[in-house]
Amino acid sequence: MNAMKSLPKSAAEVFLDVAETVTPEVATLDAEGRSRMIGIVDAALMDRDSGTRQQIGTFLKLIRFAPVLRYGRTFDRLGPERRVAVLRWFQDGPVGLFRQGFWGLKAMVFMGYYGRPEARAEVGYAPEFDGRGGLGRA
Amino acid sequence: MRERDFDVVIVGSGAAGGTLAKELAPLVEAGKRIAVLEWGPRLADDAYTGHEVEMAKQLYFDSGGVLTRDRTMTLAYGRAYGGSTVVYTGTSLVMPREVVERWDVPGIVHDDLQRRSAKVLEENNVHLLDESKINENNLLFRAGCTKLGYRCRQFPINVKGCRASSLCNLGCPNGAKQGTHKVQLPVAEAAGVEVVTNCRVTRVDEEGCDAVVADPGFGLPSAWEPGTYRVTARVVVVAGGAVNSTALLLRSGFGDHLPVLGRYLTLHPALILVGEHPREITNDHGHPKSFYCDDFVESERFLLETCMYFPFTTAKNLIGFGAEHSELMRAFPRLQMILVLAIDPALSSNRIELNGDGEPVVDYTMTPAVLDSLHRSMVESSRIFFAAGARRVHAPAGSSFFINAEDAHRVDEMIPRANVVPGRMSVTSAHLMGGCRMGRGAGDSVTDGWGRVHGTTRLFVGDSSLFPQCSEVNPYVTVMALADRTAEFIRDNAGELLTS
Repeated sequence: MNAMKSLPKSAAEVFLDVAETVTPEVATLDAEGRSRMIGIVDAALMDRDSGTRQQIGTFLKLIRFAPVLRYGRTFDRLGPERRVAVLRWFQDGPVGLFRQGFWGLKAMVFMGYYGRPEARAEVGYAPEFDGRGGLGRA
Repeated sequence: MRERDFDVVIVGSGAAGGTLAKELAPLVEAGKRIAVLEWGPRLADDAYTGHEVEMAKQLYFDSGGVLTRDRTMTLAYGRAYGGSTVVYTGTSLVMPREVVERWDVPGIVHDDLQRRSAKVLEENNVHLLDESKINENNLLFRAGCTKLGYRCRQFPINVKGCRASSLCNLGCPNGAKQGTHKVQLPVAEAAGVEVVTNCRVTRVDEEGCDAVVADPGFGLPSAWEPGTYRVTARVVVVAGGAVNSTALLLRSGFGDHLPVLGRYLTLHPALILVGEHPREITNDHGHPKSFYCDDFVESERFLLETCMYFPFTTAKNLIGFGAEHSELMRAFPRLQMILVLAIDPALSSNRIELNGDGEPVVDYTMTPAVLDSLHRSMVESSRIFFAAGARRVHAPAGSSFFINAEDAHRVDEMIPRANVVPGRMSVTSAHLMGGCRMGRGAGDSVTDGWGRVHGTTRLFVGDSSLFPQCSEVNPYVTVMALADRTAEFIRDNAGELLTS
């Protein structure tokens, strides 16, 4: 577990659990990759005001405990399918605030994962400063 | 607080600020002092790395993710020496006559805007890219449109020596895009206009403005030491973009006698659609935006454009998460993208306000008609993808994550209107217009047709916040044409305006 300056330890742990559900490849990152991902998210959150960080922390706490009502377990103790179901409820559910909160959280995961420089090669995105030679590549 | 004195202060250095700086620069020879105060940094040529997160942080407000009040849209606008012209794709369209007529602003006529726009196009080296330099992501859009009988036009773009990096929206790493940071500002500086970066203007009045210079931790140092400044001036032109110009005037108390200030904001709400082809296509080399389809502007109020975004931006704009999302992301070399833009009405209720800290908050609600437009645009874009040979399509309001080619004949039912709900789709805007609209008087607008704020003699607005309604095309050429007009007024009346 890499420490985050922007979130308390418990919130950071939920964030990583959410990240592995949103982008399953997060679970396969090595220590360096995970550290880079967390570093990107952490830096972005540190640029936000403390109120916003607090809201994110509260939302992560909500994700952690919401499944207790349905499954009798916290998010971190659920299997992959139930984790997906919980996050789908946040994404598609009737509460606008939850939908928007989840959208923001998801965006942070994507920023951390796809913002890593090596993610470009992993998805096959390979722009070049001089791309003229590659125009007829495919 | 340190003090500075100028004859003209221009707040912002983007399409409007850069144009004003260049067009007013001849006054320097007559002994006048002109400053451009830009909130963002000036980056060295080798600082354009093409890395998405890094460049977004350095060149956009909130990394391009400013949220509206209800968090259903994100807004992307630039903050740099050159403003948003550093990060646009350089597509250069002249506003149609019928839109100018709809604006109905005294003094603003199509022939005059057309003449000024032509000057902008020439100055910025606007031309059609040679066919050999257009990539498959774009050519497939044209092929799809052609097959369906839709009108497809090529975007004129403002590049010089384009090397096909495809990284326009992260700032061209080759300096090819002819934004104000490459064309107008260097001319102005050579003539003696002072450009001060990392300088945020906090309040404005008819005698000048208050500003704060702070080091953001990247970019070249500002010409002024960090600190607070009182800058006096005979003429002030606010050109910080729709959100920040409006917020500046609100913060400075102009809302007290201008009830329209902040209102009638339009955004061209936009969505990204993705089509996956059975083979790899060229999409990450070449200019990202070569064609558009305006066949549906009058009938359904939307515009379709080619586009190509970077991994994080793409991931963020897809709906859903998990295995399917990852699968689509890993198909990146096979992806074709279309950007749809809704032509939104100017409503008094869509507005920019200030929060308790004096920071801008954008309060914008998509009307049912706009949601209808976005819905129809997704259906038509899906048809274009399939007509171009895509094996499946991801539409933000699709009833399933993928719509497969065998279902192409029923895209209407696969993209139900009921799914087009704010907050469920990633809706963005990079065309922010209105807030300081031009018009007849303080009852219906903020400025007159020259951009002069009602009730003042020496305070002007010079950017897209002036638009009384949306431009229905990419707005930067119109912004420059209007700024050219305002500069002409100031030059012609310099004797009166620039006298203490």
